[in-house]
Amino acid sequence: MSRSANEVMVLATKAARGAGAPPAQASQFGAVAARHLIEGRETAELQAALDALPRGPILSLPLIFTSIAEQATRGSAMRPVPKGPAALVLSYIETLPWQTGTTHDGMLHIDLYKPAARCSVMRIDLPDEVYEAWRVLAARLLVPESDASRTSGAGAGLSDND
Amino acid sequence: MKDIFETPAQMPLRSPGTVMRLSRMGSMFPTRLSFLRSLMRRLAAERTQVRRDIWEICEQGFGHAVFSLTLGGHDYALVAVSTDLPPELRTDRVIATAWDGAFVLFDGIPDAADIARIKANAPLQEAGRFGPRDLILSRANKSVRLFAHVTDALRAGQQPDVQMIRDVGYLMRTTAVYGNGKFGIADRAAYHERPGLEGPFAAEMLTVWLIRHFTHALVEHVGRGTLAPALKRHLGIGNSTGLGMAPFLVNHPVLLNNWMLARETALARVRAVEAPTPEHRARLCALGARAAKHLAQWSVPDPAHLGRIETLRADWEIAVRALDPEKLAVPRPLDRVMSDVEQMSEDVQELMAALVMEPFGDLIDGLAECMADPYGAFAPPLRDTDALRAQTERAFEWALTPDYAEAAACGQFWYVSEAKMEPRLGMRFTEEGAERETPLDIARRVQAAYRDLPAQAVPVSAFLARHPEHALAVERVTLSACYPYAEIRDNLIAQTCLPIDMLRCKLSFFGAAKFDPKSDRWTRITLCQGAPLADELGEGADDWWLPVFAA
Repeated sequence: MSRSANEVMVLATKAARGAGAPPAQASQFGAVAARHLIEGRETAELQAALDALPRGPILSLPLIFTSIAEQATRGSAMRPVPKGPAALVLSYIETLPWQTGTTHDGMLHIDLYKPAARCSVMRIDLPDEVYEAWRVLAARLLVPESDASRTSGAGAGLSDND
Repeated sequence: MKDIFETPAQMPLRSPGTVMRLSRMGSMFPTRLSFLRSLMRRLAAERTQVRRDIWEICEQGFGHAVFSLTLGGHDYALVAVSTDLPPELRTDRVIATAWDGAFVLFDGIPDAADIARIKANAPLQEAGRFGPRDLILSRANKSVRLFAHVTDALRAGQQPDVQMIRDVGYLMRTTAVYGNGKFGIADRAAYHERPGLEGPFAAEMLTVWLIRHFTHALVEHVGRGTLAPALKRHLGIGNSTGLGMAPFLVNHPVLLNNWMLARETALARVRAVEAPTPEHRARLCALGARAAKHLAQWSVPDPAHLGRIETLRADWEIAVRALDPEKLAVPRPLDRVMSDVEQMSEDVQELMAALVMEPFGDLIDGLAECMADPYGAFAPPLRDTDALRAQTERAFEWALTPDYAEAAACGQFWYVSEAKMEPRLGMRFTEEGAERETPLDIARRVQAAYRDLPAQAVPVSAFLARHPEHALAVERVTLSACYPYAEIRDNLIAQTCLPIDMLRCKLSFFGAAKFDPKSDRWTRITLCQGAPLADELGEGADDWWLPVFAA
C-alpha cells in the first residue's frame, strides 16, 4: 500500500521505541527507515536492526556518526565510512543533519557548517507484512483502555451536543 | 549607498527564561504573525476568488459540495461531505467515529472519481485511506443549537438573534485538522515550497477558512435565506482541541523556537520605534479600545476562567491608558508601554505585546517567512561532557533543581491510549500505564543526564555509549545552544502542569481567540471570527485582530 513518508517515519519511530530503543535513537531510526525505503532499499536491514534491539545498529550507528562529528576541525571531518549493514549505514549518512559526501575509496566527509539538503518526497510502498510487524511493535507503547482513562484522561466529556 | 535590505532597529529580545514559561505561554493572544493572518494577507494580495464547483446538498443539508480557489498559481479544492449524525454519536473526542461534516483539501480540481473516493473515505477519517493529492483531512461537528436557530430564523424571513451569534460564534467546530502525511495524505514537504503554503500550517488554515465558508453556505441553503454580512463575518469556525496538540510543541523544538523568535523579534522591533506617527498613535489607541470591547464580549461558562477574564478586563482598563496618543508622544513610547506593564499580570503583558505589533506590518510582516523549519534541527555537536555540562547550566538551570522523585514533581504522565490512539494524561501513582509513558519529561531527563556526567571530560559519544538512555537529553541541550526558544521551561510531568497553557500557545499562533477551556487539558476556541469572507478579500482585509461584534 502506498504510504506517505511521514506516516512511515512515525510508525518506524514507534516500532523502534516499542522494541526497546530510547526515544532519540528511535526518532533517528524513523527518519532513516523512511529514507531507506524511499531509496528502494531492502526492508530486511531495517527489520534486522529492530530485531537486534536493545543493542545493534540503532544504538551503535548514531554514536559512530557523533564521534566522527566530534573530531571535526573547522567544521569539517573526513573519516572512513563506518562498518555495518551497508545500505543501512548509507541511509543513516543520508539523514544526518549536516551536509555529507562519500568518496570512491570509502571515506565519509561531513561539513558541520552546512545543513543537509532535504530529501525529495516520494511515496513509500511498504509491504503489508512489514507494516503489520511494525504496528505490533508500536502497539507496545499504547496504554490499555480503562474507565478512568476514558472518562478523565483526555479532559473532555463523552458527548458534545450544544 | 544605503542597503535597501537594512534590518530594522530592535531592542533586546525578552529572555527565553521569561518567555518560555508555561503560564506566560498560556496567556498568549493572536498577533498579526499568526498563521491565519498571514494566509489572509496572501489571499487578499492575490484577490483570490472562491468558486462553488459542485453543490449536491439536499434540503436538510446533507450531501457533498466542492469549493475551489487558485493560490500561488495552484488550484486547490475543498471537498465537503455533510452527513446526518445521530446526537448520541456527537463527541469532539478523538474516540469519535462519526461527525456532522468531513472535509478534504484536494490538490487541484477533483474529478468524479476523486470525489467518489473522498466521499467514501472522508467520513471514516482515521479509518479511511487517503492519497498524495489529499493535502489535509478534517472533520467538524455542528453547534446544533445555533445551526437550528439560524436556519429557523432564515426560514421565517428573519435574521438570527445577534446575542446568540455573539455568544456561540460558529456554526461548526472542527475536531481535527490532519496534515503532513497522516492516513496517507500528502507529506507537507510535497507542497511546502508552493507560494502561499510555505508557512507553518498554511494548508491547514486554508482548509479551516474554506470550511467556514462551507458552513455559511450550508446554513443559508437549509434556511433558504441570506445571512447579513456582519453576522456572517462574526461566524468563525469553532475548534475543539485536546492533549494531542501539546506534544507537538515538545516534539518540534526548532519550529517552536522559530515561532517564538519571530514573535519576540517583532516585539523588539516595535519597541525600538523612536516616534510613531500620529496615525500610528491613533491606531494604537483605537486598538486598545477594541481589545477592551473584545474582552467584554469574551464570556465562558467555566467560573475559574471567567474570573481570569474579569480580572483581565479590570486590569486592561488601567493598562490601556498608556496608549493615549498624547502619552505616546515620547521617544520609544512602546518600549515604555511594555516596560510599564511588566508590573501587571502575564495576561495583560501578552495582550499588550500582541497589540503593539498590530499597526507595524511594514516592520514585522516579513518575519512570518522565518517561522517555518526548512532545515530541521541543525546544531554542531558539543565538544565534550564539560561543554555539555556548561550548556546544561546555561539553558536548563531551571530543570536542575526539582526533585523528580517527589510526587509533586512527577505526579502526571503522558500516554497514548489504545482507544483510537487518543493522547491522554494520567496520574502516575494511581493509574496504570506509566511504564509506557510518552517522553515529554525533558526536564527530568536533562537532570538525570547532568547527574551522570563524569568528573573528567570525555567525548559526548563516549558518554552516550555508557548511557544511551540520555541521548534525548543530550540532543535537547545541544539544540539549546542554537535555538534559545526551543524549550518550554517548565516541568511537564509536575502535578501542577496545566496542558491547557501549551494548547493556548499553539492555538494563538494559529490565530485563535475566545479560548473557552472545558478543563485543564481541553479547550474550545474560535478561528476566523471576523476574518474576511470570500467576497471581501481586498483592501482592509487584514484588519480583524481581536474582532468585536459590531452587528
